[in-house]
Amino acid sequence: MALVVEQFTRTYAGPSGSTFTAVDGLSFQVRSGEIVGLIGPNGAGKTTTLRALAGILRPTSGRVLVDGHDIVADAIAAKRRLAFMPDEPHLFEYLTVGEHLRLVARLYQVEDFEQRAKALIEELELAGKERSLPGELSRGMRQKVVIACGLVRDASTLLFDEPLTGLDPVGIRRMRQTIVARGRSGACVLVSSHLLHLVEEICTRVIIMDHGRKIADGTVAELASRHDLAGAGSNLEQIFMRVTGHGSPVAQE
Amino acid sequence: MLGASLYIIVCSTRNRIVRRLRRLREPRYLIGAVVGAAYVYFSIFARMRGPGMAGRRGRTTPSLGAALATVQPGASALVGAALLVIAALTWIFPTDSGLIEFSEAETDLLFPAPVTRRQLLIHRLMRSQLPLLFGAVVSSIFVPFNAIAERVRFAGGMFIVLSAIRVYFTGVTLARARLMSESVPARRVAWTPLVAILAAAVTVGAPMWRAVVTESAGNIPAMLTIAGGAVSSGPPAIILWPFIALVRPLFAGSATQFLGRFLAAVVVLAVLVAWVLRSDEAFQEAAVDQAARTARSRAQRQAAPRVRATMWSLALSGRTESVFFWKNGMQTLRAINIRTLVPFIPFVLFSVMAATLRMSASGARGPAAGSCIVALILAAFSTLLGPQTVRSDLRGDLRHLDLLKTWPVKAAAVIRGEMLWPAILLTLCAWFAVVCGTILSTAAFPELTTPWRLSLSAAAMLVAPALIFAQFTVHNAAAVLFPGWVPIGNQRPRGLDMLGQRLILFAGVLLALVVMVGPGAIAGFIVWFVFHRLIDAAALVPAAMVGLAIVCVEVLLATEALGPAYERIDLSDVERGE
Repeated sequence: MALVVEQFTRTYAGPSGSTFTAVDGLSFQVRSGEIVGLIGPNGAGKTTTLRALAGILRPTSGRVLVDGHDIVADAIAAKRRLAFMPDEPHLFEYLTVGEHLRLVARLYQVEDFEQRAKALIEELELAGKERSLPGELSRGMRQKVVIACGLVRDASTLLFDEPLTGLDPVGIRRMRQTIVARGRSGACVLVSSHLLHLVEEICTRVIIMDHGRKIADGTVAELASRHDLAGAGSNLEQIFMRVTGHGSPVAQE
Repeated sequence: MLGASLYIIVCSTRNRIVRRLRRLREPRYLIGAVVGAAYVYFSIFARMRGPGMAGRRGRTTPSLGAALATVQPGASALVGAALLVIAALTWIFPTDSGLIEFSEAETDLLFPAPVTRRQLLIHRLMRSQLPLLFGAVVSSIFVPFNAIAERVRFAGGMFIVLSAIRVYFTGVTLARARLMSESVPARRVAWTPLVAILAAAVTVGAPMWRAVVTESAGNIPAMLTIAGGAVSSGPPAIILWPFIALVRPLFAGSATQFLGRFLAAVVVLAVLVAWVLRSDEAFQEAAVDQAARTARSRAQRQAAPRVRATMWSLALSGRTESVFFWKNGMQTLRAINIRTLVPFIPFVLFSVMAATLRMSASGARGPAAGSCIVALILAAFSTLLGPQTVRSDLRGDLRHLDLLKTWPVKAAAVIRGEMLWPAILLTLCAWFAVVCGTILSTAAFPELTTPWRLSLSAAAMLVAPALIFAQFTVHNAAAVLFPGWVPIGNQRPRGLDMLGQRLILFAGVLLALVVMVGPGAIAGFIVWFVFHRLIDAAALVPAAMVGLAIVCVEVLLATEALGPAYERIDLSDVERGE
């Protein structure tokens, strides 16, 4: 199993000394070659989950294993197998696009860096921008740089948080193809997105979260055939509306 | 728009206060607030109530105006002339008031709103008043008045002066941007105030100059009296009236006097506001919103770094520390431009002044002696204050923590790597300064023998990196152990609680530094004590070497020990800007 999440809980300290539980006892597994969609309403705990899986946030309790390596106890080995593409492109303002890729290649010890970087720059339409600083790029281009940094190495587990934000139609199409291609080549892919049609199109399985808990897990067909979702509809949007308590959009209309 | 503007100001102020009060529930802010309040009380209010002030309270303190008038009969004319000079110099050395720089929220919400440009400017004008009022009240705390009424009057007067300065600077900024405009009316509106201020400067300056040159003045006070008297009547007095009217409330002796003067100052301020609003309208005809766009693009240019060919590429293999060394090096090389050097000018001026004083005191007036002192001061600054000022280490990178924490690297290597570049850079600066100082030391310190000079120089070059690395270790340890207490990037956290936090952190850093440098200093002293009878001044070198070695070991041990703490840093603990 490429990615294992066991009873992951994450709480935050509130301003008045109280605690807020963002994710509560979440457990799931993702196999190699699977593309799993992580969806849920705002505040469901998706980004907290992804950031914990990436090693940015420490779990309050529970554990996360990447190819059998604990993200807390064996952080370096686990992180070496991970690539996290956040929704907000955070880059070093003083390093160029090319230098960012080189930095990542050095950190992750990428051997055939030059060829990979060249191919990725072409693929993500970053050609001509190698010597540009992040401040000179549009948000969409910065997002592409973050994605390029994630893909320049052979990560066995790919985590995407809203991967299409800021991309143009061509970029969206290519990104979709890239995610599917990575999944087919054996990577374990976890995609968090509010674009349900994208999730339905590219993901082999879907996990729905709400209020920090997992409320549904399975393929779209499996979810549609669940007893409690009978009559919700057969597409992901209808299922999502039903399980999150918003009823069927068709019925509402 | 006026109502909306007031609504924004009131709600923002109320919410900011509520937010700051609410965060006092967290111990770190509460402790900070207590320490900050204690500091403010003991450093300002307690001193005002102290025996010195009590003693002064017994006798009648003359008002500032009366005191000034006693010293200089033409004082108000002189103050007015000084303001005129500043007003004229603003055209040559423009100071951006920030009044026409709108925040992102203002740009996104108010620009598309159905309001005029004039209303937007009035909104910005109104928003800027609260900080000015706060600044005026703070300044009134420091003036040596006894009665609260005097302080209130001073705060009121200062508020008008600060407001007028801000509005005037805005007018100059707007006009300067249009001096070369293609539109004739816009150009006329831009040039008129410049010509007027130059004419005013000549009308006032010429009689002053004539009076000072023709009448012999024995000393500076006499010269000022002559100069002030020359512009106390006639056309110069008329020209100086608005400038004098602005500052006269500060020197009012009674409430009635203050009221009259305050109203006159308000009239001057109103004229300035009207000028700025009219100028803006005239410029709009030439190019709508150009001023705001210029201001925004200037801000962007200042914030955005530029690509520079550094001929320094990151090797694809090597130690983790070298990755951070390269990264921070690129940041420094690309961030440095003339503007970033401006804050250091006061230090350079201070150094030059100190050097001049030293030369005067020692009688060594040669430029070599002065340069030697400047070099030694720069070496001391690099070594003792540099690590506090140069923050291109983990303190600066806390804002990138979410990226750094995804990297598969050893935590201790991250901490070591982060401080490597700034520490080496400062060490090189210190070494360079010490070498310069040593070369020139014959002129400045002729009493020292050559062995002493060389020994001291070598010892300083060994001690400098020890002190620099020790300080960086302590500062980075603070960032790792108390990330919420360290300001991120260039942010300047405000509030009494944040002041207290900074004081506590400063005291903690100082204490940790003493503890860290202590063993090396003791060992070094022992070595010097043992060897100085045998090899005299040269004993300083092995002593410094021992000290350096001990600090190096401590730095390695400390960074290793900090590794687990770095792993445990929680991003939610890191203080984000308000």
